[in-house]
Amino acid sequence: MDKALIPEGVRRCSLPAFGIWILVLAALIGWGVYAGVVVLIQALNVTGLNNHFGFGLYITADLAIIALGAGAFFSGFLYYGLSRFFPALRELHKIINLAVIVGFVCYTGALAVLLLEIGQPLRGWFGYWHANVHSMLTEVIFCITCYAIVLVIEYVPIVLKNRKLDAIHPVRIFGHTLHDMMAIFALTGTFLSFFHQGSLGGVAGVLFARPFAYRTGFFVWPWTFFLFILSAIASGPAFTALVCRSMEIVTRKKLVDRSVYELISKIVGTLLSIYILLKIADTVYWAFFLSPELGFKLGDYYRAPYGMWLLFTEIILCGVLPAILLTASRGRQNHFIVFSSFLLVCIGVIINRFVMTVQTLATPVMPFDKWEVYVPTIYEWAPIIAMLAYCALILSLSYRYLPLFPREKELNTIS
Amino acid sequence: MMFGRRAFLQFAAGAVGGTLLSPLPWKLADDSAIWSQNWSWRPSPERGPITKKATICTLCEGGCGIRARLVNGNRAVLLEGNPEHPINRGGICPLAASGLQFLYAPYRITQPIKQTQKRGEASGFKPIPWDEAMSELLDKLVNLRTGGTPHAVACITGQGQGSMRDLWQQFFDAYGSPNFFQMPSHSDSLKLAAFLTLGKEEPLAFALEKASYILSFGSDLIGGWGSPGRMLALWGDWNAAQSENKTPSAKIIQIESRCSMSAAKADRWIPIIPGSEAALALGIAHVMVKENLYDTSYVATNVFGFEDWTDSQGKARQGFKSFLLASENSLEEASRRTGLEPAKIVELAKDFATQPNAVAVWGKSRDLPEKVHHELAFLALNVLKGNLKSQGMISLAPSVPLGPMPQVLADEVAQQGLARKSLDQVKAQDIPLSRKSLYGFLKNLSEAPSYPIEVLMIHEANPAYSLPGNQVFQKAIQKVGWVVSFSSYMDETSLQADIILPNHTAFERYDDVIGVPGLPQAYYAVAAPILPPQWNTRHSGDVLLQMSKNMGGSVADALPWKSYDAFLQDRVKGLAASGRGAVAQTSARQLQETPEGASPKANYKDGADLWKKLASGQCWYDAPQNPLQLVQSPSGKIELAFQSLQSKELEAGKDEQCLPNFSSIALSGNEKEYPLTLVSYQALFLSHGYLPNPPFMTKTLWDFILRNDDSFVELHPETARSLGLDEGNRAVLKTPAGECIVRVHLFPGARLDVIYMPQGLGHKAYDQYIQSKGANPNELLEVQMDPVSGLGTAWAARAQLRRA
Amino acid sequence: MVIDLDKCSGCMACSVACQAENNISFRPDETNKLRSITWMEVFYLQNGKDYGEYQYTYLPRPCMHCDAPHHAPCTFVCPVNATTRNEENGIVEHIYPRCIGCRYCIVACPYHARDFNWWDPSWPKSMESMLNPEVSTRMRGVVEKCTFCHHRLLNARAKAYLEETDPDKATYLPACAEACPTKAISFGNLNDPESEVAALIKDPRAFRLLSKLHTEPKVYYLSKHDWVRKQADKGF
Repeated sequence: MDKALIPEGVRRCSLPAFGIWILVLAALIGWGVYAGVVVLIQALNVTGLNNHFGFGLYITADLAIIALGAGAFFSGFLYYGLSRFFPALRELHKIINLAVIVGFVCYTGALAVLLLEIGQPLRGWFGYWHANVHSMLTEVIFCITCYAIVLVIEYVPIVLKNRKLDAIHPVRIFGHTLHDMMAIFALTGTFLSFFHQGSLGGVAGVLFARPFAYRTGFFVWPWTFFLFILSAIASGPAFTALVCRSMEIVTRKKLVDRSVYELISKIVGTLLSIYILLKIADTVYWAFFLSPELGFKLGDYYRAPYGMWLLFTEIILCGVLPAILLTASRGRQNHFIVFSSFLLVCIGVIINRFVMTVQTLATPVMPFDKWEVYVPTIYEWAPIIAMLAYCALILSLSYRYLPLFPREKELNTIS
Repeated sequence: MMFGRRAFLQFAAGAVGGTLLSPLPWKLADDSAIWSQNWSWRPSPERGPITKKATICTLCEGGCGIRARLVNGNRAVLLEGNPEHPINRGGICPLAASGLQFLYAPYRITQPIKQTQKRGEASGFKPIPWDEAMSELLDKLVNLRTGGTPHAVACITGQGQGSMRDLWQQFFDAYGSPNFFQMPSHSDSLKLAAFLTLGKEEPLAFALEKASYILSFGSDLIGGWGSPGRMLALWGDWNAAQSENKTPSAKIIQIESRCSMSAAKADRWIPIIPGSEAALALGIAHVMVKENLYDTSYVATNVFGFEDWTDSQGKARQGFKSFLLASENSLEEASRRTGLEPAKIVELAKDFATQPNAVAVWGKSRDLPEKVHHELAFLALNVLKGNLKSQGMISLAPSVPLGPMPQVLADEVAQQGLARKSLDQVKAQDIPLSRKSLYGFLKNLSEAPSYPIEVLMIHEANPAYSLPGNQVFQKAIQKVGWVVSFSSYMDETSLQADIILPNHTAFERYDDVIGVPGLPQAYYAVAAPILPPQWNTRHSGDVLLQMSKNMGGSVADALPWKSYDAFLQDRVKGLAASGRGAVAQTSARQLQETPEGASPKANYKDGADLWKKLASGQCWYDAPQNPLQLVQSPSGKIELAFQSLQSKELEAGKDEQCLPNFSSIALSGNEKEYPLTLVSYQALFLSHGYLPNPPFMTKTLWDFILRNDDSFVELHPETARSLGLDEGNRAVLKTPAGECIVRVHLFPGARLDVIYMPQGLGHKAYDQYIQSKGANPNELLEVQMDPVSGLGTAWAARAQLRRA
Repeated sequence: MVIDLDKCSGCMACSVACQAENNISFRPDETNKLRSITWMEVFYLQNGKDYGEYQYTYLPRPCMHCDAPHHAPCTFVCPVNATTRNEENGIVEHIYPRCIGCRYCIVACPYHARDFNWWDPSWPKSMESMLNPEVSTRMRGVVEKCTFCHHRLLNARAKAYLEETDPDKATYLPACAEACPTKAISFGNLNDPESEVAALIKDPRAFRLLSKLHTEPKVYYLSKHDWVRKQADKGF
């Protein structure tokens, strides 16, 4: 029925099957939107946040999804920026559209959740109006909106590639022009989002009265600024690859060449190794030099349920281990190992964003202070789940109606 | 023409673009921010010129000076301490700081209301006009007099100290009923101790300002003992930094089973078995006598009954000395009773004996009478130290020479009524020092009263809640024909009333404070209203005067004043006429530093001038008295063997009955079933009496005192472990009197096997900010009748605790 | 501000007076302390010993008005300049109508001095009469905290101006210090060597909370007990 909209020469599932899937997603989104409306009307008291945990699941999810969505800017940077110098990176054009869409959904989704997170959403624009140049959050606000706009601009030409839209001449010209300028946007976006990741890291790192989060740094930026960038560019492509692989599994098709995955695992392996080495160096300096200066021992930071296992999982299990596996060429041969490593990397980044947000706040700073535990409520989970459903929805629609994968046709010739 | 899709899209794009270019979105964004800053349901206080009005706080008997901050002269926004007032010197307690929450309380009774359904039905109250309410009460009172049964009228007042109490007494004397009662107070038993020792039934006062060493027998000195304003200001002085250049600090030894705030902050905390404070006092006395550490010349000159003596019938009697040295009062015995090592008792005795200005203070709280014999033990310890003398540490609270009440010329009906025994006395033949006992009254009333009570008037008291063992009140009130409440608030007792004639709150009316508990100087202050009445309420004093006037005859003659204000002015006129004392001026410590015999020169012209000064928040004071000059005991000396105490036991030759002694409490209930002891405690941050805990104070409560609707009991971690309980667990607390649900707080300051529970929670009335929060220990405690005085003493019960 | 914990009797009058002065809203159930707004919060410190030797103290905690160079922890992070430190008088202020409620300042403050309005502020209707017109009520979704009764400073300065004395030398007391019945709270200008507070902080009992973090709190505490002073900083 919707044949006319589907890209030429590819097969898609039947409309009713697709419709059911969309309905499921829409229901989840509806649920999240309902929860969001409740939060806006009844205020944040419906969440699990409190005066101890000013930040919680919303921020954790935002930080995580933005880090994982970083595949977009970094792939863009590699493809549009570096492939001139490293032709091997040209391979990435096979997945770049997907990367852009993942970035787009992650950023717009995160923005929607941010709207719920602030107590006075109607004053959200004060961030531009009364900007405090010292605040990392100001950087975040500026970068996130600018980059979201860039992502929209990057997404538009992909949308315009739709068969029907492409048939309209002026639209086609417009799309093509945009596409030609894409390198500029990609690079602008790269700068913005590099900076943005950094500021997100800075948000925690500058809290000089929160020894768990506080880091010294370079110029005005704490080390977390750079670590966040590194961890994002290491995990972003991994996440894009994971998304792609999941789509392959769901659609039972080959969407990209294996070589793309291999390239990505090389990139991830290298970056992750660099990141995790620096992260370990940072952790050692923080645990044994910085913290004692502030009067804290490593043991002061970890108590059930936020125990040492978090540190171990984040750095060893989800850092060192996948770094080793992905750097070894034998590891890269094995699909299972590659995607498990990607998954671990993503989990590691999520844990990192979680501890930098929630554990920072759980750790008592005053010696007579209590150790509190944060339990998010359904009003926090629902919008987050809805955000993920929204990501899936956009991806599904894009996959069905837009030519995302240039190699799809060749890889799935009907025999 | 068809409006095609393309045209629509073009239109939409144009509209969006056009709107974005117009000022509309920016204006809307701005407006939305402004709206979110002033959304209509956020209250905006009305502005206006700010003025201050000084007055006296009457929320407790402490006599503190306060100032109210008023906006436009008609809205009170804050109460603060009056820095020019000598008692509290600018400080304020949390209750007074939240005082306006009583004035503006949503649970106030705004006009007279009458119960139209069953008693206790909250929805049954219907407004009636004042005239109707007054005439209804008048009719009842007049009818009872006509019927020759004026004694069937009773009253319970919670105002123990002011002129309102005297006015009630005057009314009852003229009307002809002996059944006028006050809520229990520590001064009830303290006065009896003074009576037996000195022959004067006056409360005792302590010159703590000059103390260098204070042995506090369970008195929470900074938790509400005496006048909180005075005690806290004093505490600040004692702990003043060296750099502040203040007088040297007093050393405080806190003796009690629970680590109260006073214990935690004292120089030393002596933990003992709950209820054994008097045993320790005797133990210390024992050591002082045995080791000759007492003031021998003082005792020899001023004390009767220290040595063995002979009574009027020539019978040889034991003196305090041989009593102390007897085997039942040995050091080992004291150690066994208190749970304290003998060496520690000896050490305390030596410290106490050698310090120059050492004093022992006692009394758990202002509203708890103690066993008279225990009072006597504490007092005796001070006698051994020679503390009751000129310029001594202890004296009698001086009286205030207010204008006298007119002589009551009781008519025949009144005489008949007064000739009846008050209901508490009906079965009180065996009680040697029987005084008015609210518990006796309620107990007799609830069982088989010898005559009925037709009208019970309850004034500024909430016995249904705040009386330990309040079940007896619930039972007693069933037997009462008609209950009148004068409360301003819909409290637990008002709920039981048939009619409510609401009083003004403390800040809307004239009132006075006669004396400050524990203060050696004479004190008088007038509390002037800070605002006119906010609702259609009437001063209970005015109601009473109106009632008397309408009754006519001897009743009207005995209460001749037009209004309560006029009555107070009359009394102040009398005070001025005495020419004694002076109005405390700005100098903060002038009052407390006034020594005995150095009466200040009167600095007021006449009654009107004194009234003006007092009504502006100042206070009148006079020098302390020399207790030795006031002694009126049979021997003319300070007695340690009490000749005034006649009892069957005494006649039977039990000499210890007329000596200060200790008897451990025998709580009812099976020790196996109730292996633990429940002890209630009071704290300054939790209001426990007539006034409920206001929301401001409830907000500051720890989450280990109240969590949601559960209140906590304190348990030693080991006791909790043995009961299988952990922090925050819910448990059933059961005593022979009742049971309730509580949560457990592990508190290393709790004695093993003792459960501590705060007073002030567990209200069933008022509003959502107060009711159903926690449990009320008064429903669990056991009231014991002191055999000497018939006063009910209550602070403990046997208890069991099991996981809920 | 200097708070003498040896004088403090834990009566909570400071906290109550603060609520009354600053129109702090209250709810029927305030037992969830993590959602409760208390500018003058009180902490519970204990010596960890058993019965007989157990000791505890309450520690009232206003906003510390941190004097850290350039910025207090909270003012540094506010994205909208809603909270700033007045460099003339050192008071850390918070502009409620500008606050967007991001709670970053709550996160930054190690003293838990900042509270969020989780609900619309409300009072029983009749108690709206006791709202102080000198302090604006806050709206839900914004952060609030102790201001050292900044409005009283403005009043004192205005008075000094009218009396033609030096407004910079005007003194005042915040509601907590004024209420304290034991005079445990002293307040004044720490930079003025003549002031009482300047003398008090030289007392050997003086300490500050978390001084190792270099937040430079302007609230000092006094205690004669080692176990109290040791809890000022981790690993003291």
